[in-house]
Amino acid sequence: MRHSVGVRIAAVTFLAAGVLALIFTLFFIAERDLKRANSATSRSADVSAAGVNLRARVSALDAAFRAALQERTATSTSDWHTARESWQPAAAQLASAVQSGPDQQRVHEIESLIHAYVSDFADPLLEIARVAPSTAHSPALSDEDRIRLTTITSETDAITAAAARTAASRSRSADAFADRVTKFGLAALIITPLLLISGGIWLLRGVARPLREVVDGTSSVAGGDFTVRLDDRRRDEFGTLAKAFNRMTSALATNRDELIARAQRLEESERRKSELVSIVSHEVRTPLASILGFARLLLERDLTADEQRAYLRIIDDEATRLASLVSDFLDIRLLEDKRFPLRSNHVDVRQIVVDQTEALHVRNPGHQLDVRVEDEPVMVLGDEQRLTQVMVNLLSNAEKFSPNDGKVTVGIHVTPRNVRVYVADEGPGIPPEHADQLFEPFFRGDAAAAGIAGAGIGLALCRRIIEAHGGRIGFENLQPGARFWFELPSLAVTESKQLEPAQQA
Amino acid sequence: MNVAAETLRPLILICDDERPLRELIKAALGDGYRYEEAADTGEAEELMAADLPSLLVLDVMLPGKSGLELLGELRDRPETADIPVVIISAWHGEYEVTALGSGADAFLGKPFDPDELAHTVERLIAA
Repeated sequence: MRHSVGVRIAAVTFLAAGVLALIFTLFFIAERDLKRANSATSRSADVSAAGVNLRARVSALDAAFRAALQERTATSTSDWHTARESWQPAAAQLASAVQSGPDQQRVHEIESLIHAYVSDFADPLLEIARVAPSTAHSPALSDEDRIRLTTITSETDAITAAAARTAASRSRSADAFADRVTKFGLAALIITPLLLISGGIWLLRGVARPLREVVDGTSSVAGGDFTVRLDDRRRDEFGTLAKAFNRMTSALATNRDELIARAQRLEESERRKSELVSIVSHEVRTPLASILGFARLLLERDLTADEQRAYLRIIDDEATRLASLVSDFLDIRLLEDKRFPLRSNHVDVRQIVVDQTEALHVRNPGHQLDVRVEDEPVMVLGDEQRLTQVMVNLLSNAEKFSPNDGKVTVGIHVTPRNVRVYVADEGPGIPPEHADQLFEPFFRGDAAAAGIAGAGIGLALCRRIIEAHGGRIGFENLQPGARFWFELPSLAVTESKQLEPAQQA
Repeated sequence: MNVAAETLRPLILICDDERPLRELIKAALGDGYRYEEAADTGEAEELMAADLPSLLVLDVMLPGKSGLELLGELRDRPETADIPVVIISAWHGEYEVTALGSGADAFLGKPFDPDELAHTVERLIAA
């Protein structure tokens, strides 16, 4: 069971506060008990003193009575009267000293007994003695005097003894309690630090270890390792922190990967652009060399009419090639545009295939051409100029990438839904690792190394054109060579969709 | 022109994958030479195996083995080491340095002046 850091701190704080409060409460109670025991002891001393004083007054009263009874002089009579008044303050003193109700009751009883002794026994007896002295000296009366006095003194003694007992018992229980408090205090002195230390350890384990993990993880991230993940199964604040930490590191990793990928894409695109600049200059220079060279010959040398015609033919061809190259480069812009403007007319694909294959044969008679088409037109809806461009590109690739005496096979395959055109060559085929990028702009594969000219635009443009027509383009490797194909929706399929707004240039 | 006179004319091998350029080179050099044409380095090697030319006009960017590779191989073989080679390329700059370093006798960038080519070839054959 994991406790949150807040719970741990609160628990340890409450534990410490509780232990301290308990100790102080007990010491406070013990101190109060001791105080009470002390005041009881001092009251008991007051009661004893008052009791002793009262006994002395009572003895003095008895002595004065006996003297007055024996002598009956004026002095003894006056002493009796003094003693007769002097016991009352002592009795009042005792009454105030005892405080408690039952004891005060007993003090009042003693007062009544003394009062009775004075009024009911001593005064009448002294009166009788004055009249008939012999009667007053009977042993019976002497006995009664003794009994009454004994009763009074024993009652008084009983009160002082009771007070002393109460004080002693108070003091004993206070001592015992103080003793227990001392023992408890000693125990607390040993147990409290142990409790606080283990509470502290418990608190530290809940904080220090996960904190160490966070510190280590943060150091790793600072060192560039974004794969580090903390254990986020804890249910405390560190669990929450670990979750946030893990989200942060994975976000960092994602961002870094994205940045790296973006940088790589930029680098690749920069590399392709600079390659493109070299290619453009090479591709432009080759026809330009022919045009300028033959123009110079025409200007500077004496040539026969046939020679002049032949040279002008070449200049014308090369200028045309240069123009189509320039238009190809202008088409690069189209590869990046979302919209691709197309005319939409009835186009005979068969005618395009036948015308362009013948044109290839004129340009490069070395290749054997195998054209497998029927005699009927194959109509689709599309942009004749763009579809011709696709055909020219595929044929020129087949020518460029295959041996000079190699065979190029061209054909059309018609199904109810599609028209498929293919161009197969006997070149080296497409390496599997290039298959994904083959239709990407400026991708040239091994062409540069093989000394094959081109800008890496052709196939990308072909795909763009065919997809804009709602078709597909692809290739298969043959043994030997490669077969490139494109598929256009048949006229029936496109015309059924004609109700939709057509892409018009 | 009789057969004897025909064989007296120096043989020039032109290796370039662009037919119009081969035509231009022939037209620039004129009737004083015999010509053989190759569209790639493999073809050029076959022709040289049959008959060694007096001079080779060689493009760099060619299908298969490049012109510079062929040049290196020619210079390594005793029977072809002394054949004068003129390199013509659209790639100026570094290729020029490499070509001359690999033993080319002259380098012309595309586009080139036909008269300059004619004079260069004349000079190399006379040497």
